[in-house]
Amino acid sequence: MLSIEKGEDGNVVIAGRLDAAEAASAQTFLDRIDGTVTLDCAGLDYISSAGLGVLLKTQKRLLAANGKLRLAGLRPHLLDIFTYSGFDQLFEIDRAS
Amino acid sequence: MTSAVQHRPLSASDLQAILDVTKALAEPFDLTTMLGEVVAAAKQVLQAERGSVWLYDEPNGELVLEVATGIKPVRVPWQSGLVGACARSRRIINVPDCYADTRFDPSVDKASGYRTHCMLTLPLVDHKNVLVGVMQVLNKIGGVFDADDEALATALAAQCAVALQRVRMTSALIEGEKMRQALEMAREVQMSTLPGTMPTVAGYDVGATFLPADLTGGDTYDVAMLDQGLLVVLGDATGHGIAPALSVTQMQAMLRMAFRLGADLETAYLQLNNRLADTLAADRFITAFIGLLDPRSHQLKFHSGGQGPILRYRAASGDFERFRPTSFPLGAMQIRALRDGVSVTMQPGDILVLVSDGIYEQENADGEPFGETRVTSIVAAHRDESATALLARIVAAVRGFAAGAAQADDMTIVLLKRDAPGLAQTFERRIDAIGAMVAFTDDAFERLAIDTRLRTRVDLAVEELFTNMVKYGRGSRAAVTLGLQAVDGGVEVTLIDRDVEPFDITRAPDVDIGKPIEEREPGGLGLYLVKRLADGVDYDYVPQTRESRTTLRFTVAGLDEGRRGSQGRGSHAVD
Repeated sequence: MLSIEKGEDGNVVIAGRLDAAEAASAQTFLDRIDGTVTLDCAGLDYISSAGLGVLLKTQKRLLAANGKLRLAGLRPHLLDIFTYSGFDQLFEIDRAS
Repeated sequence: MTSAVQHRPLSASDLQAILDVTKALAEPFDLTTMLGEVVAAAKQVLQAERGSVWLYDEPNGELVLEVATGIKPVRVPWQSGLVGACARSRRIINVPDCYADTRFDPSVDKASGYRTHCMLTLPLVDHKNVLVGVMQVLNKIGGVFDADDEALATALAAQCAVALQRVRMTSALIEGEKMRQALEMAREVQMSTLPGTMPTVAGYDVGATFLPADLTGGDTYDVAMLDQGLLVVLGDATGHGIAPALSVTQMQAMLRMAFRLGADLETAYLQLNNRLADTLAADRFITAFIGLLDPRSHQLKFHSGGQGPILRYRAASGDFERFRPTSFPLGAMQIRALRDGVSVTMQPGDILVLVSDGIYEQENADGEPFGETRVTSIVAAHRDESATALLARIVAAVRGFAAGAAQADDMTIVLLKRDAPGLAQTFERRIDAIGAMVAFTDDAFERLAIDTRLRTRVDLAVEELFTNMVKYGRGSRAAVTLGLQAVDGGVEVTLIDRDVEPFDITRAPDVDIGKPIEEREPGGLGLYLVKRLADGVDYDYVPQTRESRTTLRFTVAGLDEGRRGSQGRGSHAVD
């Protein structure tokens, strides 16, 4: 299961599993955000290439409008996936949180 | 009513007589009384000295003289004599002088001492045009039977036929109901001895099913954890009906008792056989497999009295070992010294397959039996599935094969499956199945005690390969099997895709992950990730079954290595 919603500080909070079955609903949500947005991934348990695709599409759209997607709180087992896919080069990843 | 001759309309008084008779004929429920009523009515209406009714016994092709005043029951072939001629033609025959007619059989007169002069023979045909019998009225008082008598007799015969048929059918129904109740009771006793639930046996998956035929057959099974080990029984008593249902019940009770009293397999088998030989009717016997499994040493020892083939699927070689019965059927005769039973060691993934002949012999519409090969192919193809799933598959296959043809015999299956080192489950080919696959993987990780740090990689690999199968294997409707197996320091994941073109992930093109974002596309990334994250990838394609098999290995060592590697290379892309 996946949950994605606006947090109090203007961040987008994503939690659960961003897999092929949930990618479409995540995309629908992210299609509506603008500017520079931090995606709080502390509650994200899992991401697959379908999820990476959603983030990639969103990042391309935001960059074109001088905005961007920042990723925060990614847990180590998911960082691996960003690293192996080269996605750590495509996003600003806040490794501190 | 078929009658060749058209007669004058019946008079009012004739009708009155017939109506009186009809009223009388509505009363009786037993055949003897009814036959008496019919004969009395005929004698009265036609003013005859005697009357007799021959009932048509269709199965035996005979006409049976059930009642005639002062005459014993007689059976004649249904073509013989005047009654036969009447039964065949379904026409009234009026013979004014019997001894002048060659069709007349004087032997009945000879036996009874009565002399028949004239005779009216009329067919008893009910309103559904079914021949019930033939009625004869003898010796018209004061003359011979005329055309008016024929008309009266024809009307009377119709009433008698319907009345007789009603009584016959009622008594058949009553008999049938009595039999049905008795069968039902025997069936209930038989079913009550089957174990309610399968025992839980560490390292094994046990399943059994029993599908009763409409008429009782004599199957039974038993699976129970005893002091001596896991008892596994499949029995089949000869014949159908009440006796076999009760015989197997008796067998099962004796067997449980013997084991409870501490008997070993040989003693129990010997005693059971000899007791049954004493008590069963001479023409009855029971074929039975009786085995004891030690779940710790995995030794299965069994005796089989006429029950076979006994099959063991061998996981290591992927074939079946076939055992013949070790002895003659139980209860056939006394045994003084029992030959050694068979001992087998159940290896990981092995499946003991016990199937009653109701399954092997179930025929399709063309009369072809289901046979052994169909059973073994199902077990071999779905060996990774649970015993319950396998049972359901065999049952569905037999039902599909029979395609509505009647089930002639009880069907019983007992499966004893030693756990394979891994677990597997089959999933529908649709993206929605991912949730179920995750749940299965969760359970498998726990049951196989796999390091949970490997979870994300395994989940990702399964999802990427599976979504790829769903997207590109559109022509196939076959389900996809996911298997997990614990290996040294990690886990081996197998995905089997059926009825598809080959797709070798090891040959899938790599993705250039160093490209700037404008040039990055999500396509191909999933499979690339799988290859990067797995410690080993193997691909195998079987053209005969169009089966694609991808095997991936993930180890904790690989996890640590990958971490060190990626840290060592800093935040640069790994390629």
